[in-house]
Amino acid sequence: MAAAVGAATLLLLVVAGVARAQQPAPFTMPIPPAAHLVAITNGTILTVSHGTIEHGTIVIRDGRIAAVGAHVAVPAGAQVIDATGRYVMPGIIDEHSHSALEVVNEITNAIDPEVRMADAVKQDMPAIYYQLAGGVTMIHVLHGSANAIGGQNVLLKLKWGLPVDSLVVQGVPASIKFALGENPKESNFQAFAGHPRYPQTRMGVEEIIRDAFTRAVAYRTEWQQYDAARRALRRGQAEPIPPRRDLQLDALVEMLDGRRWVHSHAYRADEMLMLLKVAHDFGFHLASFEHVLEGYKIADEIAAAHVGASIFADFWGYKLEAWDAIPYDAALLTQRGVRVAVNSDDDERARRLYQEAAKTMHFGGVSETDALKMITLNPAWMLGIEDRVGSIDVGKDADIAIFSGHPFAPASRVEMTLVDGRVFFDRTTAPTLDYLMQQLTEQREHGGPARAERGQQ
Amino acid sequence: MRPRARRHGGTDARGVVLAALVLAMTPVALHAQSATGLAVYAKGWAIRNVTIVPVTGPRIEHGTVVIRDGKIVAAGADAAPQAGDSVLDGTGLFVYPGLIDAGTRLGLTEISSVPGGEDQQELGDFNPQDAALDAVNPNSELIPVTRSNGVTTAITSPRGGLVSGQAALMDLLGWTPQELAVRAPAAMVMTYPSTGGGGRFGRRARQGGAEQVNRQVLALKAYLGDAKAYADIKARLAAGAPGTQKTDLAMEAMVPVVRGEEPVIFDVETAEQIQGVLALADSFGLKVILRGAHEAWRLADTLAARHVPVIVGPTTTEVGPDEPYDEIYANPGVLAKAGVTIAFQTNDAHGSRDLPYNAALAEAYGLSADDAIKALTINAAQIFGVADRLGSIEPGKEATLIVTDGDPLDARYGPRYVFIRGALVPFDDRHTREYEEFRARPKP
Repeated sequence: MAAAVGAATLLLLVVAGVARAQQPAPFTMPIPPAAHLVAITNGTILTVSHGTIEHGTIVIRDGRIAAVGAHVAVPAGAQVIDATGRYVMPGIIDEHSHSALEVVNEITNAIDPEVRMADAVKQDMPAIYYQLAGGVTMIHVLHGSANAIGGQNVLLKLKWGLPVDSLVVQGVPASIKFALGENPKESNFQAFAGHPRYPQTRMGVEEIIRDAFTRAVAYRTEWQQYDAARRALRRGQAEPIPPRRDLQLDALVEMLDGRRWVHSHAYRADEMLMLLKVAHDFGFHLASFEHVLEGYKIADEIAAAHVGASIFADFWGYKLEAWDAIPYDAALLTQRGVRVAVNSDDDERARRLYQEAAKTMHFGGVSETDALKMITLNPAWMLGIEDRVGSIDVGKDADIAIFSGHPFAPASRVEMTLVDGRVFFDRTTAPTLDYLMQQLTEQREHGGPARAERGQQ
Repeated sequence: MRPRARRHGGTDARGVVLAALVLAMTPVALHAQSATGLAVYAKGWAIRNVTIVPVTGPRIEHGTVVIRDGKIVAAGADAAPQAGDSVLDGTGLFVYPGLIDAGTRLGLTEISSVPGGEDQQELGDFNPQDAALDAVNPNSELIPVTRSNGVTTAITSPRGGLVSGQAALMDLLGWTPQELAVRAPAAMVMTYPSTGGGGRFGRRARQGGAEQVNRQVLALKAYLGDAKAYADIKARLAAGAPGTQKTDLAMEAMVPVVRGEEPVIFDVETAEQIQGVLALADSFGLKVILRGAHEAWRLADTLAARHVPVIVGPTTTEVGPDEPYDEIYANPGVLAKAGVTIAFQTNDAHGSRDLPYNAALAEAYGLSADDAIKALTINAAQIFGVADRLGSIEPGKEATLIVTDGDPLDARYGPRYVFIRGALVPFDDRHTREYEEFRARPKP
């Protein structure tokens, strides 16, 4: 079923994207050519890091930004993308996604840091293409929120059409999902219908996290003692017996050692304070709270702990712990020095994160630059990759979205999206409704099979 | 040309500052309302030096809008306030009609996961006798939150089954459900069966195989046939024919529907469903309004010729894998260009305040700015038969209007003042209250 869906969309892309020829294209994956040298010219560049450049040029060499400015020459041989009248911004980073997955949650255990989302990536899901069409170039794909300590997350670049390994971003801090509140305590569902599992309260959520780390500390000590014994081993002495390997505790030790960053789903203020304390006690790196609906109540505490806030712009009221969510969350957090990301948590919302970010300007008066950072630099910082992506700067990855107008203006849409300097979405060759209607008209006027019902072949 | 204005100050404390300002100028009656905040009822208002977007006519720069006894009495460059009117300076601001969400569940839900506050859906497939207004909680916290973002008027609909019940059109200000009501019932709500599934909010609710769909279509037809017979007998009895008729509340509710007096909102998605609805309309003399209808573009010319209006959206709906990636955004523009009267819905309650941003997504993919603002105002009023009262800035209409600092579709801007039936409604809602409370939290 899923394969059929993917196949249909691939065909759809082939027909619209590759061939506007008379014959339907054969079923092949359209991989955009890798351009060695690209220049985006004469656009209004929203660098995010250093202001707006009118009539600016960006030169991309081997997937990285090589030059940017108002007076940058176009190198000979460059593939030129004319951005006259258009706005060019860094590719949007969705800090909280569950896209491109076969399965989102290993729901059965309250603690399951041993499972890996990288094992569940499905790189041919149409949602990837739809998100590219909304200017998104990178998604932080999280494990679900049914578990106090969830699975290992994976960071993807939306290189639609390439093999799965090409999508996974390497050399970044490892990441793990935590969850607090109603979801891990099974308030609105049960992992095993009719059979509640521990925890059922916020007391239990905290305890089970502390318990896991307590076991992890002991496990790490066992290994440290074993390693010390091996180092001290003298000729003729018996080999020490290693501790039994535990994949769950391995992941927790990575957290204790700061090698795996924690991104924790959290709604209520009190439980965020709880986790800040737990993180302090055990010394793991809490990179961001996710959703942070009541973050505005404890903005100073979050700021002091240098934890990011990855939020919804204005989603509220869908459950009791979402009753105090307000659209001013972004503004209040920003005012008190918290770095804020606006995320999707949803394939549909991911398509319009630029509009979501714009709402923060109305609700509480966030500046345009701060609002832009919420979908670029701030999520990059939470993921530990601020030096690689999130702004239009020399040396950074050429992940770029080109809009028809200012990305926050109501009539604007994405015209083109580049990842590592390659054009993975181009509206002029995309399967649009307009194109489908042209095909239907042709079919009516000239008869014969149209390619209109794409994917039906 | 898009309106743009500088923000002056934040959105914070607008209501409070405003109320103080108004009181300083002229004595007005204040009515404390639990659901409505402190609505300011003055006899007369004048909003001066403002850009008026009447929607039904050309834009007026440096105009004045005069409101008296809840109605707009003048709107234009020459309009002058009378002595005693409370005056608002509209420099750099814009007056638009209040926005109308043509599909919500406002008043029928509070916290989605808490069953006690849920009154959207009854059991069974046929519930025409159930009226949304009977369950609307006028003190819902969602109502002030929604109107604070410029959505002043909304259809609230029951859902579920094939005939869900009666929708109500309501202003988002009032002490009782009856005071909220603009028109109730505004329409009967039905769903045309479909094999399609999915949709985040169960919009494509009827699932199942072709056989099951056929059974449901037959059941719907039989039900409409019964209603037709009931209405015919009722008419004959009224004309003096001998005999009696047992009163059936469900059938009574269907009488104006099969007489074509009360419109039917049909929740549909596909072209196939729309064709089914049109056939039902022909067979049973129904006056239909399509809602959802992301494939309506396939039948745009037919719908225009038959004067069937379409309530599009939400445009924030997930795309099916076999649909053009921008279909949900582009559909409204295609319909408007073909001459179909369109309005927008959020099909939501908490998210109803995002109505204008739904239209913005359509504007980005082909809907003209003029058609977009009409869809959010006058078109919705026309569809529900209240265009003589709402939907434009014209003398004689109810003073349900918003004063904004920019294009209402632009998420960066928003209302500075909201009037509902001539009452100035401060931005006092659950969200602004929390904002003010925690903005004032001292550093720990």
